Amino acid sequence: MRTFPQIYAALRRKNRGQYALLSGCCFFSVLLITAYVCMMRSPTILAVLPEGGDSRKQVMMIFVLAVIGCAVFTTYAAGLFFRQKSRETGVFLALGAARRQLKQELRRELAVISLGACAAGAILGGPLAWALWQIFRALVVDTQEMSLTFDPAAYTYALTFAAYVTAMLFLLGGRSIRKTNIIDVISESHRSEPIRAVKRWYGWVGIALLVMGGFCGYIAPSVFVRGLHWYAPEGLSAVFYLPALVGLYMILLHTVANGWGSKRRKYKDIIAVSLMRFQGRQTVRNMLVMTVLIAGAYFASFYTPMLGTGAMLGYDARPVDYAYHFRADQDIPQQDEVHALAEEYGVTITSWTQAPMARLAVDGDRHVETDGTLGTTWESVYYAQAKSELFLSESAYNTLTGESLDLQPGQIAAIMDASGDGQGVFGGFVTLVTNPITGERFPVTMVDDLRNDLLFGRYVVDDADYAAMTDRLPDDWREQMVFFNVENDAQTYNFAKALFYEIVDRSGPEVALYDSYDPVAREIAIAETGEYFLDPETCEAYDFTPIDYDQRDSSNFRLYWQYMPQFRVLDKADFVKTTAVFLMLFVFIAIVCFAAVIVIAFTRCLTIAITNRQVYDDLRHLGAPRAYLFRSVRSQVRRVFLVPMVTGTALIYAFYAMIMFFNDNRLTMGELAGLGSCLLLIFAVSAILYGVYRLTHRTVCRRLGI
Amino acid sequence: MLTVKDLHKSYQVGNTTYEVLKGVSLTVDEGAFVAVMGPSGSGKTTLLNCISCYIPSDHGSILLGGTELARLDEDAIAAVRNHKLGFVFQDFLLLDGLTVRENILLPAIIGGAVSATTETRADQLCDVFGIAAIRNKYPAEISGGEKQRTAVARALINHPLLILADEPTGNLDSKSSRAVIRSFEQAKAALGATIFMVTHDSFAASFCDQVVILRDGVVWQTLTKGTQSRSAFQDQLLDAIREMGKE
Repeated sequence: MRTFPQIYAALRRKNRGQYALLSGCCFFSVLLITAYVCMMRSPTILAVLPEGGDSRKQVMMIFVLAVIGCAVFTTYAAGLFFRQKSRETGVFLALGAARRQLKQELRRELAVISLGACAAGAILGGPLAWALWQIFRALVVDTQEMSLTFDPAAYTYALTFAAYVTAMLFLLGGRSIRKTNIIDVISESHRSEPIRAVKRWYGWVGIALLVMGGFCGYIAPSVFVRGLHWYAPEGLSAVFYLPALVGLYMILLHTVANGWGSKRRKYKDIIAVSLMRFQGRQTVRNMLVMTVLIAGAYFASFYTPMLGTGAMLGYDARPVDYAYHFRADQDIPQQDEVHALAEEYGVTITSWTQAPMARLAVDGDRHVETDGTLGTTWESVYYAQAKSELFLSESAYNTLTGESLDLQPGQIAAIMDASGDGQGVFGGFVTLVTNPITGERFPVTMVDDLRNDLLFGRYVVDDADYAAMTDRLPDDWREQMVFFNVENDAQTYNFAKALFYEIVDRSGPEVALYDSYDPVAREIAIAETGEYFLDPETCEAYDFTPIDYDQRDSSNFRLYWQYMPQFRVLDKADFVKTTAVFLMLFVFIAIVCFAAVIVIAFTRCLTIAITNRQVYDDLRHLGAPRAYLFRSVRSQVRRVFLVPMVTGTALIYAFYAMIMFFNDNRLTMGELAGLGSCLLLIFAVSAILYGVYRLTHRTVCRRLGI
Repeated sequence: MLTVKDLHKSYQVGNTTYEVLKGVSLTVDEGAFVAVMGPSGSGKTTLLNCISCYIPSDHGSILLGGTELARLDEDAIAAVRNHKLGFVFQDFLLLDGLTVRENILLPAIIGGAVSATTETRADQLCDVFGIAAIRNKYPAEISGGEKQRTAVARALINHPLLILADEPTGNLDSKSSRAVIRSFEQAKAALGATIFMVTHDSFAASFCDQVVILRDGVVWQTLTKGTQSRSAFQDQLLDAIREMGKE
């Protein structure tokens, strides 16, 4: 061995564990981020997640958390690597090596580590995302629209992250050699990481900040939009969550430094507590990242049970088995044809009700937006014809529902969902109804809301008023609503599907419209801007996939077609298919986040083992029995796993419940059931994480020879 | 060989300045074995670190073989450390991933001057210090005394002008300490090495030609062994230390 590179190679062989850990961390973080971003930017996913919609924001928010988590985690791993390496750096310097010489060798090493690990992560990230998706398709659900395609531009994000990892490695590496004081460098690997004295009030203040930040962050967008009439930049609202992050840090710090137990127990865990204290800063940072990632993972995981449970309860609560509506100018199967089709499929129709509806203009306020230097502001402007709504006469309502509603002339009742909620899209104060063809206006007074899931979003007026309001209204402004029941509803899937296909096949291109398409709003938009965002010819420019009859089984079609029938058996059976891309995307995100948490926790625990090997040797020399050492290790590993798990889980569950509650200031049965399903999910995931914790504990003990 | 003149060094801790060296002056002749003693906080290790250029002095002069160390740039300091100085540390600072022989060769490898002659010299040093049998072993496999003798051999591989030793026997038992001191004597006798050693141990210091006693950052007394026996010199050292304690 005659050259410096040969010496470096020999030391690399000796310390291959440290190199493997750093390379593994870099590889893993780039792999996760690449897989995530490939999925997030996939045209398959973007076609389903509406632009500006909550789902896309949630995916982006969790992505930001994952990036922060992976960045902190990789930086920590690099810091640890350079600290362990500092001893040999110090020896080289002390023996007369020039910094230039060391930098050259280190750069060579880091180039191999960073380029190798990052390239491997970036190359394998796409296939990993693809493989996971194919597993979903093979084992869970497969639909035509789940065919996964990637956007090469997604790699820009992955490469940016890989560039960060590479730059960070070179920066920290350069800094570790630049340190001028050799004495410090030599002794650096022995330096502990003390945390400053942590007062006991940190815990409670942390909790207060956490609650305050969570609440302020949640209501800030509403305050901006409703109170200040201002669409604030998305990043600004996120700032209001910062106290929550500070609070979380304080809670974790208090937990590591002081613990929540009584002082009487302090001697029981004295070794574990004192060791955790002296590695406090890094431990708490790691725990913070894990907590945030666990929260993100659960946030994504909750999507499926919340959506699924709520939807299933909603389907079961429908007052009839089959409901569909169609524009009066369409040739849609009616009673005779439906009976014939039912007979063909051996289905017995037990009841049939049909009633007319009409689309009329109503008054209301519209938001008129102005772009300024501080973003977009809006003001409310009253329009006598602000939008259109569907109206039923009271007799039509009674026919369809079996109720005996009796409205007085001039009165109008809105139909909310079965729980009396407008679901954030319906409601308001109507005082004027206008026939959009004749322009005749009818002042109205609103009375108590009605409740019906299948007629949700419609208004009911007195029979005579209805006749007057709909006078001379052509068929394209009129609709028919059909309700019918069948025997053995659950056994009628084939009939339901055939009827659905028949309705789609016989619908004309003029009704291939989004559910929120509104002819009155369209007229206003055309007059003001020259185009309407939901027109089939312009919607793509606004990131809306046009409604296409050839894609009748796609989630876009089934979720957003204005005339989508509501057949209980079809909706229940096809729920997973209809929402497959959403569900699988969120399951994917959860898997990625949980995987990151497991890797971080595992490596942190192994680091504790490596760092504290001497302490455990000393304890052994002092006569500590194996059971005591085993318990002490368990106490540390448990803290690393348990504290972030409990904190992250409790936080996100409380936050989720808060969101559900503040949607309408109450928790509906569907929401309660959904939250119950989320609890079951938490138990299942916790069981898996517990298994990993046990495995980690055994591994750490093995490394320490316990 | 080494001349230190009016050397000052202070540390800043918060708003307080601690002056550790307050004008140290001393001379070490070529081929001499010199020890620096003194109570904790007297400035022994700081003096050694300044001479090693591990920490910069505030002012004063350090001349090594006619070269003013304070005026050198970083690369030149590295070259001085590599070619003109040899180091022996209290906790050995051997690299665990290298064998004894590779550790000894390390300064030569860093200096880029490994030849068959250097390798032969490494083997000779192993023979001189009695570590030939373990030269292919790793530091984890050898004793503390063997580690320190390896470090002494490493310090000598590049034919330095001066060997700087910081508490070389501090982590060793008496038998190993004696072996390490013997290795210094051998280095001096057989290889003509000049040794500057910081120590607390009056027994180790009694083997030296000259002992500089520091107190509160200044040279309090310099004792020369001369022709007296080692034990007599140790008694003289102990008397001096006792006297320092009375003042």
